[in-house]
Amino acid sequence: MTSTVPPRPATREEIAVLARNAGLDLPPEIFEELVQAYGNIEPMLMRLRRSRDRADEPAHVFDPRKFMPETA
Amino acid sequence: MAALHELTIAEAGRQFRAGTLSPVDLTEACLARIDALDGALNSFITVTPERARAEAKEAETLFAQGVDKGPMQGIPYGLKDIYDTAGLLTTAHSKLLEHHIPAEDCTVQAKLWAGGGVLLGKQATWEFAMGGPSFDLPWPPARNPWDLGRSPMGSSSGAGASIAAGLCPAATGSDTGGSIRMPAAVCGIAGLKPSYGLVSRHGVQPNSYSFDHCGPMAWTVEDCALMLGVMAGHDPRDPASIDYPAQDYASGLLSPVAGLRIGVVRHWYEDELEAAPAVIAAMDASIATFRSLGCIVTEVRLPTLRTFTDSKMPLTAGEIFTLHEKDLRARPQDFGRSMRYRILPGALLRAEDYVQAMRARAELTATVFAVMKDVDVLLTASSAQPAPLLLPDEPPTFFGAAAPSLTAQFNLTGQPALSLCNGFDAAGLPLGMQLAGRPGEDALVLRLGAAFERETDFRSRRPSLEQPVEAMAAQ
Repeated sequence: MTSTVPPRPATREEIAVLARNAGLDLPPEIFEELVQAYGNIEPMLMRLRRSRDRADEPAHVFDPRKFMPETA
Repeated sequence: MAALHELTIAEAGRQFRAGTLSPVDLTEACLARIDALDGALNSFITVTPERARAEAKEAETLFAQGVDKGPMQGIPYGLKDIYDTAGLLTTAHSKLLEHHIPAEDCTVQAKLWAGGGVLLGKQATWEFAMGGPSFDLPWPPARNPWDLGRSPMGSSSGAGASIAAGLCPAATGSDTGGSIRMPAAVCGIAGLKPSYGLVSRHGVQPNSYSFDHCGPMAWTVEDCALMLGVMAGHDPRDPASIDYPAQDYASGLLSPVAGLRIGVVRHWYEDELEAAPAVIAAMDASIATFRSLGCIVTEVRLPTLRTFTDSKMPLTAGEIFTLHEKDLRARPQDFGRSMRYRILPGALLRAEDYVQAMRARAELTATVFAVMKDVDVLLTASSAQPAPLLLPDEPPTFFGAAAPSLTAQFNLTGQPALSLCNGFDAAGLPLGMQLAGRPGEDALVLRLGAAFERETDFRSRRPSLEQPVEAMAAQ
């Protein structure tokens, strides 16, 4: 059985873990910038994370013809 | 009779072809103006006087020989400093590229050069067309010629400032969330974010692949159309390039606009952003002008600006972090604070966030185009406020956090969006409006904008610079 965890803002500790996972070893003053800046985008992410129909494809189509070498 | 530095591309071209003006004289007038005023405006990072003089002389010779390469022949222009130029410093206004000299021209520069244009130099931007305005970079931010204490906005800030100040008649911009249209609006000029894929981005420093557009900026809509004709065209070296049919964007500018259906998106600027009273008044007057031209104007409702911003910002953050992650890990202190603030959060996104944002982008784009079955063009404000103050100690901001953008939605949909001057506030600061068409209908948007400019007298008003510049120099 699964349960849904209600969204809440990430803690500083969680942000530190996420930053470490992203390979960022930031000096303290720049880590503060990250904490503050992430607080701006997090509400957007929370609003974006909602259920959509399985058929709702992203606005992204891969066209393999774009990657063929140029012909003279 | 207009002074040389006030000549539009169209008027200068007429005089070149009539033999009453030489590209050499026009170029010298621009260089003299840069020399006199750019110490206060900071609109150029690199000026290329010797190259400009040589290219102007070449254009003069071609005219004398009866050779005509098109509307940019002999026209001085500036390039935003994210456009690669072979053998010429291209910094992206960043310490990271402080000494970067590309080996090749980007596609747009190659086209402008082939069209006989005269490169005056490379222009100020926000760092990598993203972070700014900043005072902690190797070059100062550009200033707004209508009030040197204010920002020309960005990121195509040097382009907006230099055209408004009469330093050059033409410049290239780039637009990922409004970076052509915002400076155009607050500097009182015209700027077109073309249809996505119409102008090649090859050789231009990327900001966010999904949203980057290159486009023209000039004093008039007609000039933007002339520039677009040279800049546009399919380029297999740009994966996002779309093979739209070739067009002469200027040839239809005099066609009537009566009967065109305009959908006003009032709720964006009036309800969601509580635009300044002067902006609302200018929009109302513009609507009346379009009605007087015979356009059919109705109001339409579209998704909120917030929903567009919610989709766009995670995509932008993820893409721009990916571009700069290596430098962020190795030398984060070499970025300006504003740039770093805007790209760091991209490190924390989940892959699911990116996919969800792309799904939202698809939904929003389909919704906008469904509404556009009943209207030909959307009309809304370019900016809810006139130019903001340019303050050195402002804390960095994240786009769309305090208030959603009025321009980014058209980067999401990829439709052409033109910003043009539609009035001034009580302090004399310019205001702007946007006209957005269906993808590939850039010519229609330009036609409507040109009709508006002919019907109004906003193109006769220029910033008065001499006294403020002296005051700045005395400080």
